[in-house]
Amino acid sequence: MAATPLIQLQDVTKVYVTGQIRYEVLKQISIEIESAEYVAISGASGSGKSTLLHIIGCLDTPTSGSYRLKGEEVSRKGDVELARIRNQTFGFVFQSFNLLGRYTITDNVALPMVYRGIARRARTEKAKTLLTRVGLSGFFGHRPSELSGGMQQRVAIARALANDPTVLFADEPTGNLDTKTGLDIIRLFGELNAEGTTVMVVSHDLRVAQHAGRVITLEDGRIIDDRRHAAAEPAETRTP
Amino acid sequence: MSPFEYLRIALEALASNKIRSFLTMLGVIIGVASVIMLVSIGEGAKTYIRTELMGIGSNLLIITPGKTETSGMGHPPSGGVHKLTIEDLQALEKRAPALAGLTPMVVAGAPVKYGNHSRDVLVIGTDEKFEDIRNLHVEIGSFLGKGDIEAHRKVAVIGRTVKKELFREASPLGRTVKIGETTFRIIGIMERKGTTLGIDIDDLVFIPVDTAQDIFDQDGLTQILAQVVNENAIERAKDQIRQVLVRRHAGEEDFTMITQQAMLSTAQSILSTFTYVLGGIASISLLVGGIGIMNIMLVSVRERTREIGLRKAIGAAQRDILIQFVIEAITLSMIGGIVGILLGAGIAYGAKAAFPVVPVDITGWSIATAFTFAVLVGVFFGIYPATKAARLNPIDALRYE
Repeated sequence: MAATPLIQLQDVTKVYVTGQIRYEVLKQISIEIESAEYVAISGASGSGKSTLLHIIGCLDTPTSGSYRLKGEEVSRKGDVELARIRNQTFGFVFQSFNLLGRYTITDNVALPMVYRGIARRARTEKAKTLLTRVGLSGFFGHRPSELSGGMQQRVAIARALANDPTVLFADEPTGNLDTKTGLDIIRLFGELNAEGTTVMVVSHDLRVAQHAGRVITLEDGRIIDDRRHAAAEPAETRTP
Repeated sequence: MSPFEYLRIALEALASNKIRSFLTMLGVIIGVASVIMLVSIGEGAKTYIRTELMGIGSNLLIITPGKTETSGMGHPPSGGVHKLTIEDLQALEKRAPALAGLTPMVVAGAPVKYGNHSRDVLVIGTDEKFEDIRNLHVEIGSFLGKGDIEAHRKVAVIGRTVKKELFREASPLGRTVKIGETTFRIIGIMERKGTTLGIDIDDLVFIPVDTAQDIFDQDGLTQILAQVVNENAIERAKDQIRQVLVRRHAGEEDFTMITQQAMLSTAQSILSTFTYVLGGIASISLLVGGIGIMNIMLVSVRERTREIGLRKAIGAAQRDILIQFVIEAITLSMIGGIVGILLGAGIAYGAKAAFPVVPVDITGWSIATAFTFAVLVGVFFGIYPATKAARLNPIDALRYE
């Protein structure tokens, strides 16, 4: 285990103030996540699990507390630096896919590489490799609307992998999919984790928790449970 | 990220909504086209007036009887107005060395008759110097000669229109016409000149000045046309004329001198104001076009809230989103500007081709100004929606329904 954890949260709180109402979403959260972990965050809705994921993913900022990424304090970074972290260190998968309808799926996957400044030809090639990796080799020129939900989520996963991220975040990735398709997606996460990518998934889906090597449970903004277990099938193939 | 990538993203976004993009551009197109068109007409009018005024001769000075103040109310003449006479002209010829030449003009309307044909024309009584000073030349036969003037001969030189109306195809040289009740022999036909400053030069008849005074019963001159030796001598010439004539007119400055330059600059300044007013009015429509851009950009930002959130989530900084939307707005205004220039110039040239009388002059400055203004409109009206987009919180934006 490395001396500095990949992700280190110390007393992180998040407070929303709407008019007179002060709503504490996260209360004194302290966690450490190591490289190549597969973490599932579970909890009832309103427990703060999505907010936690967004803060770790640099999409949102904590109200107080310290967040260190690879030992560096994130809360002091400016917009451009945070954008670079989201672009190159992180990859996101959302419940509702969020693909751009006017682009082909290849261009959708290539989008993060546009912001990284990679030339068009190179990014198209990389996008095609990634689409092949998620099993969509025959659909390069298709638009998202021409694909099924499961296929669209695969495109979104390929897009999240475009800049070879250290951490892959997923917010309810199976929420809009049927049981069978959902399982395929969960398996895909397992495979990616087995290849060395850190995976953090927020999900109600119990099967996600079964696949993850670590399950963090939140309730009313606090961590009430954080357990590691030797997970089922793919996690065991993980290299130490 | 290279500027080219931003441009690509902007073009893709605009292309995905072609009709809307076109309609938004239409505002700018109409604005720019009207600026170009109206300024072209204004500039054309200026060029037209300049050519016309320069065409009447060079370094001209017109002396007319009576004092006309060009500014203020002026003062009522204390004595009677002295007429300008041939003697005044002769005195000027002797004592105003800054003048290269002088020619008298007696102008009156009269019917000209040949056989059964009759025509009401403007008759100008003048002398042999008129031809060079006024820059109007005879084509067939000869102009009034010195001998004709001195001998008070009843000879006339006619314009092209008069010739055509009275004689059709026949040659009028040597034939006689009646001007009023007096018979004149035709000695020359003027070359075709068309209309200058609203007067049909081809519809004039020229006769010796003394004869004109006789038949129209006038002892004064309508005006004296003087040519100054060169353009630097104009002020000197005016001083000399003032000295000579004031002495001859019992100490009164009861005449007015108008220089060709003064006429030109007055006309030019009026037309410049006219051009600016037209351009200004047209600019308002360009401004309205800009508001159209802002409106559609605001709609677009709202519609693409989720897209903006996603772009931010996958690595777009605020700056990237800002530039993307500003470039979109500028692209709209710039394409609108280019199409507008082509349309405006096309209509202006079309008008010129269809109606050669319409003076049209497309100037580089009007094109440059309209284009720059269009692009600035894009930047100005694009910044607000773009800032709004850039500042969106990615989480809220992604949740936007």
